[in-house]
Amino acid sequence: MNNEALKGHLDLLLLAVLVDGPAHGYALIEALRQRSGGTFDLPEGTVYPALHRLERQGLLGSTWSEDAARRKRVYQLTIAGREALAARRDEWKKFSGAIDVTVGI
Amino acid sequence: MKTNLVRNYLRALERDLWLRGLSDPEILAEVESHLLETVEQGLRQGLDGAAAEQRAVERFGSARLVANSFENERMDGMQKVLIVIAVLIGLFLTYMDASPHWDDTGLIVGGLLLGAALVTLLGQRRPWLAALAVGVWIPLRYIFLSQDFSMLLVLLFPLAGAYIGWAAHLVVRKTFHPA
Repeated sequence: MNNEALKGHLDLLLLAVLVDGPAHGYALIEALRQRSGGTFDLPEGTVYPALHRLERQGLLGSTWSEDAARRKRVYQLTIAGREALAARRDEWKKFSGAIDVTVGI
Repeated sequence: MKTNLVRNYLRALERDLWLRGLSDPEILAEVESHLLETVEQGLRQGLDGAAAEQRAVERFGSARLVANSFENERMDGMQKVLIVIAVLIGLFLTYMDASPHWDDTGLIVGGLLLGAALVTLLGQRRPWLAALAVGVWIPLRYIFLSQDFSMLLVLLFPLAGAYIGWAAHLVVRKTFHPA
């Protein structure tokens, strides 16, 4: 899939993966790849800036986990993040529905 | 386990982040953790050490790409304020230059150079943009009034100033906040 097209929806995808529970960046990226059957295969390093931005926007929180073999930064949805996810899911439903109707799927 | 390829990648990323004014040990720690986890996964899948590192670094994306992504995500309010300041400086100098009672080209040139230098010294990360924001208005006015495209050469002064200010900014940061 075209990476530029994917970037426009990255926020929704990241929020949607995190609704299942907190995860560190590596696990998030693996979940994105697996859920999409390998279709969502961005350069992994470009996901972290988006995570940091979502955190600055208050949609995610993060803590450093010390219990593993190495420190990991674990992200979780905030209340504002859950609300944003719900809003963006609605937007996506309308958008994808309109696209489907328009192109005749 | 931090091997040469991963270490070199982290150094390159550290440098690229620093050049953009985005030094952050937490970013590097997070990237290191990610890369080492990818290497370990590669080893579990039967890759040898070098191949696992190679794959980890390739999948992460080049250091420049990652640093650019961080920069694009942090086009923050301060950067926008600095561009607005640059535009105001440029418009003020254009107004002075257009004034019938003003006849000091040296001061205008100095203003273009110092104005652009000030904006990058204060932290604007794109010297070329700062130079354009300060310096494009005078040439535009001459082009509009008399189709005099030679005035585009005036842009050399804010360009020089912007890069001097940027270099000074890097020196100041290196002195007080080494990478």
